[in-house]
Amino acid sequence: MNASPHVYHQLSAFRTGDITREAGNTNRRLEEQKTRRTLSQRVQEKEKDKPFDLLIFCSSALALIVLVVAPACVRRSAGNAPSNDLLIVGYDREPDTLNRFSTHILEDIQTCVVEGLTTTDEQMKVVPLLAAQMPTLENGGVKLRPDGGMDVVWRLRTGVKWHDGTPLTSADIKFTVDAINGPNYNPESTDGFDRIASVDTPDPLTAVVHYREIYAPYDIQFIRGMLPKHVLEGRDIDRAQDYNRNPLGTGPYRVAEWKAGEYILLERVADYWRGAEYPHIRRLMFRFVANTNTRINQLKSGEVHVVALVPWDKLREIAGMPSIVVHKTPGNAYEHVTLNERQVPAFRDVRVRRALLRALDRESFTRTILDGLAPVAHGPIQPVSWAYTDAIARYPFDPAEARKLLDGAGWKPGPNGIRERDGKPLAFTLITQAGFAVRENIAQAIERQLRDVGVDVRVELHDGTAISSLWFEGRFDAMLHWWQMPADPELTTFFAADRTPPAGRNINYYKNDELTRLLYASDRTVDREERKRLLHRAQAIVAEEVPELPLYSITRLDAIPATLQHFKGNPTNTGIFWNVHEWVVR
Amino acid sequence: MAGFLARRILQAAPLLLAISALVFLLIHSVPGGPLAIFLSNPSVRPQDIERLRRALGLDRPLWEQYWAWLAAFVQGDWGYSFSDGRPVGMRIVERVPATLELVAASIVLALALAVPAGIAAAVRPRGWFDRATTALAVAGISLPSFWFGLLLQIVFAINLGWLPSSGRTTFGGGGLLDHLQHLALPATVLALVQAAAWSRYLRGSMIDTLAQPFVVAARARGVPARAVVLRHALRNALGPVLAIVMVDAALLVSGAVVTESVFAWPGLGSLFTEALARRDYAVLMALLMLASIAIVLFNVAADTAHALLDPRVALR
Repeated sequence: MNASPHVYHQLSAFRTGDITREAGNTNRRLEEQKTRRTLSQRVQEKEKDKPFDLLIFCSSALALIVLVVAPACVRRSAGNAPSNDLLIVGYDREPDTLNRFSTHILEDIQTCVVEGLTTTDEQMKVVPLLAAQMPTLENGGVKLRPDGGMDVVWRLRTGVKWHDGTPLTSADIKFTVDAINGPNYNPESTDGFDRIASVDTPDPLTAVVHYREIYAPYDIQFIRGMLPKHVLEGRDIDRAQDYNRNPLGTGPYRVAEWKAGEYILLERVADYWRGAEYPHIRRLMFRFVANTNTRINQLKSGEVHVVALVPWDKLREIAGMPSIVVHKTPGNAYEHVTLNERQVPAFRDVRVRRALLRALDRESFTRTILDGLAPVAHGPIQPVSWAYTDAIARYPFDPAEARKLLDGAGWKPGPNGIRERDGKPLAFTLITQAGFAVRENIAQAIERQLRDVGVDVRVELHDGTAISSLWFEGRFDAMLHWWQMPADPELTTFFAADRTPPAGRNINYYKNDELTRLLYASDRTVDREERKRLLHRAQAIVAEEVPELPLYSITRLDAIPATLQHFKGNPTNTGIFWNVHEWVVR
Repeated sequence: MAGFLARRILQAAPLLLAISALVFLLIHSVPGGPLAIFLSNPSVRPQDIERLRRALGLDRPLWEQYWAWLAAFVQGDWGYSFSDGRPVGMRIVERVPATLELVAASIVLALALAVPAGIAAAVRPRGWFDRATTALAVAGISLPSFWFGLLLQIVFAINLGWLPSSGRTTFGGGGLLDHLQHLALPATVLALVQAAAWSRYLRGSMIDTLAQPFVVAARARGVPARAVVLRHALRNALGPVLAIVMVDAALLVSGAVVTESVFAWPGLGSLFTEALARRDYAVLMALLMLASIAIVLFNVAADTAHALLDPRVALR
């Protein structure tokens, strides 16, 4: 404001002069007025002389050019092509921790660094990794004790060392079990470990695990590897950031750098136990790109080379790219509609459940919304599993049959076309997770097709975290979702009568004594053939009873460079990096 | 001046306390807690959930949790992240540079666009330039940044191949140029929205100022038009706009949430998105409190700056 007094001063001086002249001569006053007019005209002319609009427009355009376009003038060499020096993975999230026992997300990065006693291959077969062989009843590695417990003898591969050069021994197995069962560590899950009474280590390469009871999935007990005793003994593992951020492993890679919010860089180790030629790729980078569209854009622009778990609705966008191959793996999971019998009494009638399944044209979902990528599922165990059987009841699309079943169950069409019984409409809410285009479309198709047979469905979308608490508390009618299924075909937690929340994941609240008995028996059967027989019978009952509506099997899509060889994929949550040591770019 | 600042900051304390209680209550009432993410893994059993709940202190009554948080927070102990177990302070500090860099770049760019555009529009209200910038500003304010960001990626990264689509650096590339290239798209997205709003404020403020007697007088005495506008009017018109810029800057620092997520920018915004998805209460509380403090401080700073620019405004 310091300019203003000066201006006012000038102005008043001018006026004074004006008045003086006015006193003198009217003509002069007129002339003066003329002068003033021309003065203001002159100002306007001056403004025209200085074309502000253009000047300022140009300067703002210049600012844009300098700040945005100039750095772009150098045309980028469309990212780095994938090579045996560096392979970049576009990853959907930053891991919470690299400690495999603590993390609650997929262990893709960890599998490159920390190896388990066993792993699952592309056929979902459990195969030995750090174990010299699979312990089984036949080879004496598994012994059933007369007291109802069992012993599993793990023999370690010889010559395996931790990355710091310390030999891997059976003491590490014992330490892992003790740490997980101990009071000073909070792993994600203690499943299976809490059935272990003790571990003996008769020699450095042999660990004998004593289970209190027979435990069928013993073969994947140490799939997450071992905690190194010489690093973690006596420490607070939850806060051991040196280990949790950069775990010591035996795998083909070690963590070279973790840049928060940006990437994790892995570097090959010099003397990997499989031989000096492995792994072939020197560095693996996991870039964190949470936004799916951005991740796909990065793949297209060549900034990342691999994208795991490509959403199905993105396949067409990248299918035509010559530099990319989309690897399809039949998955171990299945999308289904959970029917909460506790909340919706109508679901307790098997005729209603069968009618709902009959009313859904699942083949058309597969052809249209799913783009032929996901085959129709008929039960909770998928063809990829050794326990699968197709000798079960099936329910092809038949709306006439669905209407007949509903009529028979006493649900008659009301005035608005919605079926009723005792004055109550056959209506429920279907919840599902927001943000998955495919799932939202399927939910709408279900709504439409069930409406055709007189069932009123209302779809509600929730975010992933909110939906978990809804189902955990049983506060929903029906839910469209899938479970991440482990390699082991255990179904107990999903269908046993006593495993409704919070004791398990039987959120159908379905109760069937025969099924419950079969499932518990199968969990306590180590003999593969006998367990298969029990699980086949269980699948037949589930198909007969329709406690939930199975829709389709999940197919895993992984986008990889066309030049990448020996990529095998994996149907389980072991993830695609289980054989990363073999990968090579040609 | 010092008294003014002290008084304003003291006044803010009870406000921040109330905000903290409210925010604490709100984030705890969002369905699904930090443990919900574990539930989708079938091998995590109820006893595991119970054990983790106790380990995180979530089994205690809510007021007790709040009190424990508050007591620690005022002593500078922000606790440990529920998701990765590291100190919250460390998680935030490592994200600050990226956010500051992005916000600074976008503010500079936005001002470079908004100030000339606002002035030019005000010099000839309802002229062609004014009409054009009005249309652009409406478009700019209405642009959803997640969509616009993806559009820029497709054009500049995929089709033209000029710029990287996202991230902060090219691995192994380094260098100032690489850095600026990564900054270009997210900064543009943020800047255009801000520039659209700010240019409108400045236009309004300039039109008012240009109508004042001292401007007419300056013109009358033959001061060159450019000097009238840039030296006499602009300085007076800038005050109120600056206050808005300051408050917007505080909002930007506390998280350009959408833009950072779309561009995988490793700043506070993407940390917030991640913490929200995982219901990481410790990180969420710290971020929201920092945002509240930033807004209070920037408000004080804006008032102070306004007063320094304009002697008619006194600090009381």
